[in-house]
Amino acid sequence: MIDRVWQHRVFYALVLPFAALTGVFGLWPIVLSIQVSFTQSATALGSSPVYVGFANYAVVLADPIFLASLTRTLTYTALAVAANLAFALGMAVLIDSPRLARGSMLFRLALFLPVVTPDVAGYVVWRWLFDRSFGPINAALELAGLPAFGGLSSTHTVTTAVLIAELWHHAGFYMTIFLANLAMRDKALEEAAQIDGANAWQIWWRVILPQLRPAIVVNLVYATVQFLKTFTVVVVMTKGGPADSTNFISYYAYQLFDQGRYGEATAMASILFAIVIVLSLGAFRLTDRAGAR
Amino acid sequence: MGIARTLGVAMTAALLTALPASAQQLTIWHDLGDNGVAWFERAGAEFAKTRPGVTVRSVSYPTDQWFGRVISAINTNTAPDLIFNNYERVIRIQSQTNRVADLRSALAEVADKSFLGEDDLRVATFRDRMIILPVQRVQMAFGMRKSWLDKVGEPFPDTWEDVKRVAAKFRDNDPDGNGRADTFGMALQAARPRDLIHMLDLFVFGSGLRHTLIDPAGQITIEQPAHAQVLEEFLKTYSEYRFVAPDTINHSFTEMYQVIQGGRGGMFRVGDWNVRGWDAPASLGGDFVSGPWPKFAANRDNAVVIGGMRGVAVPENSPNRVLATEFAKFLLGKEAQQASLELVGAGVRKDLNVDALSPRQQYFARAQHRLVAYDFPESIHTFYPELEAAFHRKLLQGLAAPPRDWKPFIAETAREMRELAQRLARN
Repeated sequence: MIDRVWQHRVFYALVLPFAALTGVFGLWPIVLSIQVSFTQSATALGSSPVYVGFANYAVVLADPIFLASLTRTLTYTALAVAANLAFALGMAVLIDSPRLARGSMLFRLALFLPVVTPDVAGYVVWRWLFDRSFGPINAALELAGLPAFGGLSSTHTVTTAVLIAELWHHAGFYMTIFLANLAMRDKALEEAAQIDGANAWQIWWRVILPQLRPAIVVNLVYATVQFLKTFTVVVVMTKGGPADSTNFISYYAYQLFDQGRYGEATAMASILFAIVIVLSLGAFRLTDRAGAR
Repeated sequence: MGIARTLGVAMTAALLTALPASAQQLTIWHDLGDNGVAWFERAGAEFAKTRPGVTVRSVSYPTDQWFGRVISAINTNTAPDLIFNNYERVIRIQSQTNRVADLRSALAEVADKSFLGEDDLRVATFRDRMIILPVQRVQMAFGMRKSWLDKVGEPFPDTWEDVKRVAAKFRDNDPDGNGRADTFGMALQAARPRDLIHMLDLFVFGSGLRHTLIDPAGQITIEQPAHAQVLEEFLKTYSEYRFVAPDTINHSFTEMYQVIQGGRGGMFRVGDWNVRGWDAPASLGGDFVSGPWPKFAANRDNAVVIGGMRGVAVPENSPNRVLATEFAKFLLGKEAQQASLELVGAGVRKDLNVDALSPRQQYFARAQHRLVAYDFPESIHTFYPELEAAFHRKLLQGLAAPPRDWKPFIAETAREMRELAQRLARN
C-alpha cells in the first residue's frame, strides 16, 4: 500500500491540497450541520452545546407544516425536473437540427444567457412581469380579452409562475449538456438505421435517445438536487406564500434558522440532505441498470 | 545614526497612531437605518464629552437579519456591546439566548426618570428582568396622502364607513391625476407572520379594543362581536373590497413601502420613525397627514397606537459591559433624547424642544391624540408567538381563497385557536 502511494507520490501531492480544501469547505460544514441538529438550539453555537439526541428530529417530524412542506417540495421537484429536462431536450434537438444551423449560435446564446444572469435580478424581473396591478403579462392578457393570470398571488397559479421563472433560469444549462452529448453521438448508427428502413421516430427513439443516457443521468441528478433545494426564487418572489403554497423545505428551515431555532432548522436540512443523497444514488443506480440492459 | 533616528521617529509615530485604537469603542447593533446611525453618532459624540477616548460605532441591519445576527453573536460570545430594537424583538432575543442583562439596577442609578410611566417599565420587563432601558415610545398613526384627500374632496376619515368611502375613491377616481387606474385605497402587508397580524393589531387597538387574539386570562377574543367586526372588515379589505394591490398577500415591509413611497397607496401606517424620511422631497415630500385609526363603533374612542417601546439592551457577554450600561443610561439624558427626537422621531422625555420639528413630526412629539398601547401577550403567554403564527396561517388561507361569508370562517378560526392555545398552555 505504502509502496503504491510512493509510486504515485506526485499524483497524491498534487491532489492533496484540493482534497484538503474539499474536506474543510465541503464536508466539514455538512458534518457541523448534522452535529448542530442533535443539540439544543440555545446552546448550539456555544462552546459547550447541550446534546438532545433525536429530539429536534422528533419535533420536526411531528410538525404538520414541515410534513406539508416536504410533500410540496417533492411534488414541485418532480414537476420542475420533468418540465426542465423535457424543455431542455426539446430545445437541444431543435438547435442541433441542420435546418437551424444558421441561427444555432444565436439560439444557444439566448437560452444560455439566463443561466449566467444573477438569479436574484432575474426573479425580481419575473415578479414584476407577474404583478397583477402593473405587470406586462396581465396587461397583454387584458388587451387580448383573456382572463387575468393569478401569478404569484393565487394559490392555484403560484407554482406554475415559479416554475416558469425557474425554467427560464435553469433550462439553458441542461440544454447545453444535451447539446454536448448530441454532438458526441455516433451519426453512422442513424445512417445505418435509415438504410434498414427505420422512420424518423424510430431513429429518434431507438438510436439517438439511448445515446443521450449520459446527459440524461447527469441532468436528472443535477436537476433533482437543484429543485429539492429551491430557495432563492421563493425568497425573492413569494416568501413562501400565498398561504404557504411555496413554503418549500429550504425556505421553511431558513425561517426557523432566522428565529434562532438552529436545532430544528439543521434537522430539516439534514433530512433534506438525506433525501437528496438517496434520490441521487437511486437515479444513478436506475440508469446504470438500464444501461447494463 | 541617521537611520536610527528615522526608525525612532517612525516608531514613535506608529505608537501615537496606535494609541487611539486602544481607547474603548462601543458597538451597537440596531435596525433604524441611516437615521439611527446619525442618532447614535450624535449621542456618542455627546457621551465622549464625559468619557474622553470613548467612541460609539453603530451598525444598522435589516430587521430580519438583525435577529439572526444578534442571536448567533450572543450564542457564540461575539456579541456587540449593546443592541437596540423594539421590546418584543428583544424578548425574542432573550427567549433564544437567555443572556440579555437585567438593567433594573442601572435604571435605579438614573436620577431623572420621572418621565417613564408604569406602563413603560412594565413593557420593558420580561419574566422579572428589565431587558431594555426604554428610550423611545413607538407611535403608529393612520396616514393619508394629503393631495389625494384634497383631490377627492374628503376630510380625514373618522369612522370605518368614512375610510371605505375614501378608499374606494382613492382606487377609482385617479387621485394622482395621471390618467391611469394604478392607485389603491390602502398599502398594507401580509406575507410573513408578523406582517399580517401587525396590520390587524393597528386596526384593533386603534379602534379602542384591548386584545387582538388572546386576553390575559387566556381567552380567545376574535369571536367576540366587537373583535369579530374589526377582523371581518380587515379581511374584506384584502379581498372583496379590493382596497389593496392584488399582490399584497405576498407583500412584506419592503413591498408595502414601495407602494406607499411609489405613490400607489392612499392610506397607510405612519410610524413616528417614518416621518423624517417621508418629509424629504425625494420621498413623499411631506404630502401626507396623520391621524388616529378609524372608529368601528360610535361608542368607542379611536386612538393612535403605541406599538411598544424601543430600547437599548446589554448582552451579558458584552465586551465592555460596564461602559455599555453607562451609555444605555446616557440615552435617557436630555441631549441624547433631543437627538433621538430630531433624528429618529421619538423619545420618552417630556421636556424636549419640539419647535424645530415639522408639523408631521410634531403630531407624534406632542402626542396630539389619545394613545393606546399594545397588550403584549407574549409577556404573559410564552406560547403566544406559536399561536400567532398559526393564526396568521389560518387568516392567509382565508385570504388566498376568500369564503362567501367570513362569519363561519372567524368562528372556525376561533375554535382552532382555542384548541391550540389550550394544547400549547398544557405543554
